[in-house]
Amino acid sequence: MRASLEHISVDFGPVKAVDDVSFGVAAGEIHAIVGENGAGKSTLMNVLFGLVRPNNGRILIDGDERVWNSPQDAIEAGLGMVHQHFMLQDDMTVLENIVLCSEPANALGFVNFTAARNRIRDGFSQHGISIDLNARVGDLGVGQRQIVEILKVLYRDARLIILDEPTAVLTPQEKDRLFAILHSFATDRRSIIIITHKLDEVMEVADRVSVMRGGRLVSSGSLLKTTKERMARDIVGGELPPPLRRSARAPGRVVLSVRDLRVKGHMPVGPLSLDVGAGEIVGIAGVSGNGQSELIQAITGLRRASGEIRLDGKRVDNMDVAGRRGAGMSYIPEDRQRTGLALGASVSENANAGRDDVGRFSKGPFLDRKAMADFARGLIDRYRIKAAGPRALASTLSGGNKQKLVVGRELSRSTPLVIAENPTWGVDIGAIELIHAELLRMRDAGHAILLVSTELDEILTLSDRIFVIYAGALSDEIPASSADRQKIGMLMTSRRTATKVEA
Amino acid sequence: MLEIILDPSFLASIPRFVTPILLAALGGAICERAGVFNIGLEGMMLTGAFFAVLGSYFGGSVYVGALAAVLSGMAMGAIFAEFNLRRGGDPIVVSIAVNLLAAGLTTFLLRAIFDVAGAFRDPAIGGFGPIDIPGLAALPAIGQLLSGQSLLFYVSLVLVLALHVFFARHRLGLRIRAAGENPAGLTAGGVSPNRVRLAALLMCGALCGLAGAQLSIANVNLFVENMSAGRGWIAVVAVLLTRGRPLPLFFIASLFGAVDSLSFRVQGFGLPQQFTDMMPYLATLVVLTVLSWIRLQRAR
Repeated sequence: MRASLEHISVDFGPVKAVDDVSFGVAAGEIHAIVGENGAGKSTLMNVLFGLVRPNNGRILIDGDERVWNSPQDAIEAGLGMVHQHFMLQDDMTVLENIVLCSEPANALGFVNFTAARNRIRDGFSQHGISIDLNARVGDLGVGQRQIVEILKVLYRDARLIILDEPTAVLTPQEKDRLFAILHSFATDRRSIIIITHKLDEVMEVADRVSVMRGGRLVSSGSLLKTTKERMARDIVGGELPPPLRRSARAPGRVVLSVRDLRVKGHMPVGPLSLDVGAGEIVGIAGVSGNGQSELIQAITGLRRASGEIRLDGKRVDNMDVAGRRGAGMSYIPEDRQRTGLALGASVSENANAGRDDVGRFSKGPFLDRKAMADFARGLIDRYRIKAAGPRALASTLSGGNKQKLVVGRELSRSTPLVIAENPTWGVDIGAIELIHAELLRMRDAGHAILLVSTELDEILTLSDRIFVIYAGALSDEIPASSADRQKIGMLMTSRRTATKVEA
Repeated sequence: MLEIILDPSFLASIPRFVTPILLAALGGAICERAGVFNIGLEGMMLTGAFFAVLGSYFGGSVYVGALAAVLSGMAMGAIFAEFNLRRGGDPIVVSIAVNLLAAGLTTFLLRAIFDVAGAFRDPAIGGFGPIDIPGLAALPAIGQLLSGQSLLFYVSLVLVLALHVFFARHRLGLRIRAAGENPAGLTAGGVSPNRVRLAALLMCGALCGLAGAQLSIANVNLFVENMSAGRGWIAVVAVLLTRGRPLPLFFIASLFGAVDSLSFRVQGFGLPQQFTDMMPYLATLVVLTVLSWIRLQRAR
């Protein structure tokens, strides 16, 4: 399918989310769209898919102008979208999820599951896909869930498939499998648009690439005519900051010591032991859902666990959350919407939440609003948080700015131990750079940092020592110097396949 | 106590009490699965009870009565949908409004149409008679329990299975489950979750209407103000306990119905009515406690 967008503009109030963008994809082509968060990629794709109506511009499918009243129109015209946040029903089987919304039904509305099954099997053999159709989707890993999403669009025989950040949560092996399927689709003359911010993947999979910045299309062309460096420059609109440099340093005293920790839960963890020393970043890699949250919640006191946890030599495992924070622990949680911030409270109130030096911010029994606002203003300047001011509600901040506020609040406590859980999840490149630099600064200042992340690149960039968590167990230690992406990828998906790692 | 339980006339009375709770709970289950928090079952049921009498009295047929009950329940479902789905009202507030509206409207119409207060009784109100099932009637205990009941009791049994199959194999059933679990998935597939929920509310209203018909033109042939008397609330509890699964719902609703029936019976043995009136709610509390204890054990 050939599709093009001509002179598309979308205004959200005074903001031009997409500004006069023209863009096309040919049949059998894999076209990557890259850009920072907020560059307008998703909005542009939502226009193409009928989720957003453009203020201006035309949509052409195979040369004919089309107007979508709803996604249903786009779906009927042969478009399919694999969303960034999966739109699946956990409680249904794979088969039920695939047919949902285009069920093959008889006159009375009863679904013919046998017909559906046969039809899906044809797609399996043609594109080399395999999955258990009777499995409950809630029991599947992220990679398999993505396969279900892809089967959904394939089942509707979509000729143009849009994928929004499809590799954000995949292991390297799952990513390879996905790309193989996409190539098979392209061979089948299906067109593919892939939204991503990972340039290595663009180089690997795409035929053409378009770069968006600030709602405009800054460049578009064959992959052969560009380089990674040029794309990166186009994305940020100028020269890139120099890459992060980590100074070599020997770790100091043991700050966090975990012994025989066992956590019960959805994914039981342990028994495991772990040390984090002053002045080092220990990274824990792994596909999400392998016990990361259980482990972190056990250390921070959010979840009951057995075993011994020491902070600077002092037992903290029988303390509550406040006790542990007081003993010298800061926590950057994965979920800034629910755990990290109180969205209905102001930036200033959030910036001051959970501080130990209460005296500085109160007058007698009352809050000292002025001191709180001054402190918040300090964080806003230092972390370049885009906010209307200390009194703005936290809910008005964008994802990246929310995260910078959480990071700023926690790091400003300057505790011996910092626990960071997917600290750059879903934030733009600028915020990622800042957060990474801050974590490294803390490390160089002699703080102990436990970094848990599903982004392998983040682990590899920041960590001094690396562990992989799989099914609630930690792998052997991997020194950063000898870390190898493929080997870690294997460990992320199977128990102890790689054996000894030379130090 | 044992004598009461094994008394044939007690056994025969159980289905009369189970049917309204079960029908309303099946309706509530559809809403629960569709993600509509509907605690207006009581009001929908009471409306159905009134219109069943109205239809039966003026239409001259018990079937017209049942149809009127179904349509009036659906109308209440439509009102719920208008205020909750389209105008975005809070479902609890809308439910309370539906319950209060039903209580006021039926009392008002009772006076306006029949010119009586409290209760309307008339020989012209036709009712569902008992249906004897050949063969079954002769069996001890089971015959008392299952034979000689109203048509609506048998309909409710069929509906339990039908709803189970509906959720598993029907297009709308699948979409109702999706609307309750991840409505964004429906939107992405080009289906409006609110239209699915509207269908669920209409089906729920129809079933609650039938539940009301069982109260007014099958158990007795009269309408009394507020005759649903909390059964809609017990149905809500049954729905929430079973998270809208039809088969477990059948057992819970049967238990609640049996206790309801027992509470009626033991009044004849000198227990104060205030105490016997508490029995269905005590049973609800006991079941709640036991189930949450079991869930806690499983979670460990």
